[in-house]
Amino acid sequence: MSPLRITMRDAPGGPVLEIAGELDYASAPRLRDAVGGIALQPGRRLVLDLAGMEFCDSSGISTLLAARHHAHAAHADIALAAVPEHTLRVLRIVGLDQIFPLHPDSGSAARP
Amino acid sequence: MMCRTGQRPDPHGAGGEQAPDAAFAALLEDSAEELYESAPCGYLSTLMDGTIAKINATLLGWLGREREAVVGRMRFADLLTVGGKLYHETHFAPLLRMQGEVSGIALEIRQADGARMPVLISSAVKYGDTGEPLLIRTTVFDARDRRAYEEELLRGRKAAEEAQRRAEADRARLQDALAVLQQSLLPDTLPPVPGVETAAYYHTASPDRLGGDFYDVFPVDGKRFAFFLGDVCGKGPEAAAVTSLTRYTLRAAAVHDPGPVSALSTLNKVLHERYTGSGDPRYCTAVFGTVEPHPTTGQAAVRLASGGHPPALVLRADGTAEFLPTPGGLLVGILPAADFVTATTVLSPGDTLLLYTDGLTEARTGRDRRGLYGDEALLAFAAGQAGKPPRDVVRALTELLRGFGDGLDDDTALLALGVPAPAPRQDRAR
Repeated sequence: MSPLRITMRDAPGGPVLEIAGELDYASAPRLRDAVGGIALQPGRRLVLDLAGMEFCDSSGISTLLAARHHAHAAHADIALAAVPEHTLRVLRIVGLDQIFPLHPDSGSAARP
Repeated sequence: MMCRTGQRPDPHGAGGEQAPDAAFAALLEDSAEELYESAPCGYLSTLMDGTIAKINATLLGWLGREREAVVGRMRFADLLTVGGKLYHETHFAPLLRMQGEVSGIALEIRQADGARMPVLISSAVKYGDTGEPLLIRTTVFDARDRRAYEEELLRGRKAAEEAQRRAEADRARLQDALAVLQQSLLPDTLPPVPGVETAAYYHTASPDRLGGDFYDVFPVDGKRFAFFLGDVCGKGPEAAAVTSLTRYTLRAAAVHDPGPVSALSTLNKVLHERYTGSGDPRYCTAVFGTVEPHPTTGQAAVRLASGGHPPALVLRADGTAEFLPTPGGLLVGILPAADFVTATTVLSPGDTLLLYTDGLTEARTGRDRRGLYGDEALLAFAAGQAGKPPRDVVRALTELLRGFGDGLDDDTALLALGVPAPAPRQDRAR
């Protein structure tokens, strides 16, 4: 069990949030707050880089959706990068692979 | 505050002896007699029968009596209240006779004007050279401050007890309310479905958190029964509110149109409209289906649709198990309009349809709890149960869940519907 770590950096197309560790009922509010605190410009893209994410439960999925709402409300875009296999399986079950643009890595996701 | 080094007179040194000597000298002029009379406590000497022989001015002052009215005329017990007298007679005096001294007994003395004064009493018997008891010496301390302090303590304790009683009552009320709410989220019992056997189980991960899983079975028309099972994202009262909305929306939707896609589409619309823009979007995954027992063949036709829910399992009478895939069905409530995918199957005698929430497949396994139970393990387990009636399948899965222990950290719901197998022939022959 490793705690959630959130790191933000700027890429040419918009902010990139690196999410590492476990995203669950206990830690999801932290990601929700982190995303809510990002001021997004219209036309920019928020990338959630999940390469280091070890676990994601339904609360985590809800938070990804909340991030999508946040981006769309600012007329910005959102993409997921480097989604781990276990989370990809869940995303497919809940149909979210059709809703989120998925990229193999944050480099390709952040390209404007 | 600390004195500076060098300025404090040394109490053991030779320099500072004059001042203390003068103070002691002044004190020595305070005669023993005067000390006795005006000491800050009451003194009293009585004969062995209690008759007061000597009393000091302090105690006379407290009693509000003249010396002549007391000495030789009253007994010690006469100074006490009725309750005090009784205590004196039954406890104090016998103890004193036995032990020769008694100390720190709380009693009340009666003042001349009838008022009571709480005191602490200590007595000792004075013995003669040959060991015979001569008289009783008694000291009386003013306990009014102490009594007030004790009353405060008592009041504080009563207040604390009252607060605790109220907190316990509040907690009990809250537990009752939670229990009623929880009950409104799940059916007490499943209705009998002709030609179909049903079984359900609900595992609550935490008694303090209202569950987010749900299921139900109910009749929709003369031929069909509807069933659903799902999982609301999140936990606690907010999730329970969504669960409640979901359950009653699906029930109402099925009254208008029991088609699975129609029911889920209605739920999607309701959840999306209710929670989008609230700043706290809420979703659920759900399987909604209908089962229609055939009046003559003994088979039952199942139609179901899924919104973001793990695929249902079908356990066949021949000992095999398979997933009933519903790919692409979207989480319910996230988009204004969502696509839901239907699947159909026919249950023959001995077949069972199993719906479950992801608490089961997401249970953490292994020594370090890092692995997930997963779909493949569930499929293999289900194949091992294939051919058994729903209640046995649910019972076996309940045991499996129990075996996960701490690894099962989410609510888990199970719902099984099956067509009973014909009774084995040898049973009928008996």
